Amino acid sequence: MITRFITEVNTKFNPFSTAARSTRLFLSSLPANARNQGMKIDTKLLPRTSADPAMLQVKFKDGKEMNLDGAKLGIKGIIEEVDRHSRFLQKQVDLNDG
Amino acid sequence: MSARLSCSSARCVGRVIKSQTASPLSRAAPAAVTLPQTSISSTRHYAVASRALPTALGKLQLPEDYVSPTKPPTARRPETRKSQMIRAYTALLRSTPLMLLFQHNNLTAVEWSAVRRELRRALREVPAPIAGPDGSVPVDITESIHFQVLRTRMFDVAFKVVEFFDAEEAAKQSNGYTHDLSQTAYEAIQAADTTNPNTAYAQISPLLEGPVAALTFPTVSPAHLAAALKVLAPSTPDFPAPTRRKYPGYYELAAQSGLQKLLLVGGRVEGKAFDYQGVRWVGGIEGGLDGLRSQLVYMLQSAGLGVTTALEGHSKGLWLALESRRSQLDEEQNPKKEEGEAPSS
Repeated sequence: MITRFITEVNTKFNPFSTAARSTRLFLSSLPANARNQGMKIDTKLLPRTSADPAMLQVKFKDGKEMNLDGAKLGIKGIIEEVDRHSRFLQKQVDLNDG
Repeated sequence: MSARLSCSSARCVGRVIKSQTASPLSRAAPAAVTLPQTSISSTRHYAVASRALPTALGKLQLPEDYVSPTKPPTARRPETRKSQMIRAYTALLRSTPLMLLFQHNNLTAVEWSAVRRELRRALREVPAPIAGPDGSVPVDITESIHFQVLRTRMFDVAFKVVEFFDAEEAAKQSNGYTHDLSQTAYEAIQAADTTNPNTAYAQISPLLEGPVAALTFPTVSPAHLAAALKVLAPSTPDFPAPTRRKYPGYYELAAQSGLQKLLLVGGRVEGKAFDYQGVRWVGGIEGGLDGLRSQLVYMLQSAGLGVTTALEGHSKGLWLALESRRSQLDEEQNPKKEEGEAPSS
């Protein structure tokens, strides 16, 4: 997954719900030095009784915000959506630099 | 070198067993002439299997120290073997009443060591248990609290074995193996209804996704739990983080970046699933189980006091009412006497 262009990740989930699985896996797929490189990662846990859906909000360097529904997309779908925009940004960076 | 040694020793054991099993068979032939019944039972190596049960054929029991001559023991490190892991996890689940589950998102080795160092430091500062009324000092559990990364798939299987497989029950039904890695255990967990929401397994298994680490306590000790929560998952009013002035090590870069990546997702207390709020509640119990007991005793005592005062209250009220009425009547009678006496004097 390309994480260079992500500036902020906000998540909120109930770990006891099976629908939160992909959101949790997305958090674990961020690199170890993500916070040192300026990414803001904020995680809020919901209590066990809560029936709220998991929230995953990703912000990019160009200001784009993505609200991803982990239950519908799954971890592969989330990574695909995030990478689609990251590749677009990568292409722009390559064109400007080259 | 060690692998070769263990293989050769395994073959030796295999040979020893072979010779043991072969010798009674060879001796059995002459003995069979005189005492056929007893000799047959003595020649059989497996006394349990020799019972003529219909299931006996598929479930032969080998001697405890049997090593297959064609399949020597593996040379892999025991802690990485899956069978050993399941054994370790089932033992852990059976012996650990209090277990916190954390999601760990890509901690580096340096961060792990910093987090463990701070945890150990905080646990060491928990006051040692005080002696009970009978003079017995409880065991200090500080050194037995471990923070370990779990292999979730293996842990999941071990959890199923602990939850859905009853070895004693299975031993009554057939004479096969009933240990945690046995076919019987496998069949039991395959047949079990793992989606039933009333079971602890179904409640906790959603937590066992992705990278999970467990903090295990050998007893339910709220004091140790509170100390661990203050380090690993601080929250402002009840479990404040250690102060920067007193514990500068906690605010080192490695420790802080490690702690940011740890996420308390839940816990298992006395076989029940708890979320992070429940875990904090357990950590907030003052004085542990003894504290709870003393609270209960106090409550019962004060309730008794209330009952006696309430029961007394009515009789007291009645007595007061009667008493006041009597004094009233006395007053009604007395003034007449005084009036009657006054003219005479």
